[in-house]
Amino acid sequence: MSIIKLENLGKSFENNQILKNVNTTIKKGDVVSIIGPSGMGKSTLLRAINFLDPPTQGKVFFDGVEINKKNVNEIRRKMGMVFQNFGLFSHMTAKQNLCSAPMKLLGKSRHDAEEKAIELLKTVGLAERADFYPSQLSGGQKQRVAIARCLAMEPEVILFDEPTSALDPTMVGEVMAVIRNLSKTGLTIVIVTHEMSFARDVSDRIFYMDEGGIYEEGTPQQIFDNPQKPKTQAFIYKIRNFNFEVNSPDFDNFEMLSGIDDFCFRHAMPEPIAKKLRRIAEELVVNIVAPKFEQCSLTLSYSEKQEKYAAEVTYPGESVNAIEAADDELAVMMIKGTAKSITHSFADGVNSLVLSV
Amino acid sequence: MEINKKQDGESLVLQCAGRLDTTTAPMLEAELLPAFDESENVVLDFADLIYVSSAGLRVLLKAQKKADAINGSLVLQNISEEIKEVFDMTGFSDILTLE
Repeated sequence: MSIIKLENLGKSFENNQILKNVNTTIKKGDVVSIIGPSGMGKSTLLRAINFLDPPTQGKVFFDGVEINKKNVNEIRRKMGMVFQNFGLFSHMTAKQNLCSAPMKLLGKSRHDAEEKAIELLKTVGLAERADFYPSQLSGGQKQRVAIARCLAMEPEVILFDEPTSALDPTMVGEVMAVIRNLSKTGLTIVIVTHEMSFARDVSDRIFYMDEGGIYEEGTPQQIFDNPQKPKTQAFIYKIRNFNFEVNSPDFDNFEMLSGIDDFCFRHAMPEPIAKKLRRIAEELVVNIVAPKFEQCSLTLSYSEKQEKYAAEVTYPGESVNAIEAADDELAVMMIKGTAKSITHSFADGVNSLVLSV
Repeated sequence: MEINKKQDGESLVLQCAGRLDTTTAPMLEAELLPAFDESENVVLDFADLIYVSSAGLRVLLKAQKKADAINGSLVLQNISEEIKEVFDMTGFSDILTLE
């Protein structure tokens, strides 16, 4: 059964549309990780779901009920949120932070609230810090208190907005361990995170966000091992590209070659690989494709994750493998002696030669 | 690319450092072909050469032809493994004199 449903959800800030037509359903007990490059609306989506930044288009349903300004406070009790910067009350101890909302909003007695607070602080490993103020706690401890405070409201869903991104790297593990435990309790969790191995381990589903929405979604295996769409692949495999456009046979080959050197240097590529990429680009573009086809485009790509290196040259015209048709035997020998594989393809009037090294 | 010229006995030695590619091959050509007017025996010291492309190979081929025409010699010294690989894959190892 769905606990959260988004229908054509959109969000704009002035003229800047961050999210458009987002449709998805999250089932009770699902653990969903939202991943993707910065600035693609991951946190905006989370904040739109619980109306902290209400959507400018579309609808959000919680347990079948459409969220609106009137019922939002009631629904937020069932849908807690944990922020990057903890958001604890600095003038209250850890325990008081946990008791405040249940007493005010759920009408709990102090005794019951405190009892529950201690129990929850135990589950996040901080019972002995119950009387500490936030200023006396480390970043990781503050975030664990924030999670316990969220749990004190007995929510059905918790939204985590990059819960470890403000933490010292040494403290990331303790917070993730707490979330990992929560993920096994049947609680519905939606988490925006940059911790990929964590997302992979704890999630039932992954949303990869790009182009103003959920660009690709699937199980962790689907998204991390076999992403289908180009931007997901580029993100998961950490593919870096260098692109150079040639518009005349007399193009500035000095600019192209120094661009290649710069690209290889920036990504700390092994020297022999960098030389091979340079050699393929120089022989193929300068000596074979540019003189004959005048226009072409060179893309060097490097997948950090897969340690794969490739050069692709595209050029317009009839279907022809420029290497096989070339007169420049020396350049062809250099290319064939350097590339591990050469693949020619043709589609929509564009030839593509992909050479791996 | 940097080219330094020095006389060593009967030979004229050109020390080449850097990359011999499309952008720098004309520089080597401008130094190497006239070198045979100064000496029949020219040595290319490639100890500090890190890269060679087909444009560079063409200059070497021209120079080899010139050496043959005047009964002179062109000798390449201190070639790195990577550059030797390029000579091997193009058959230049058989055309040039490598030391």
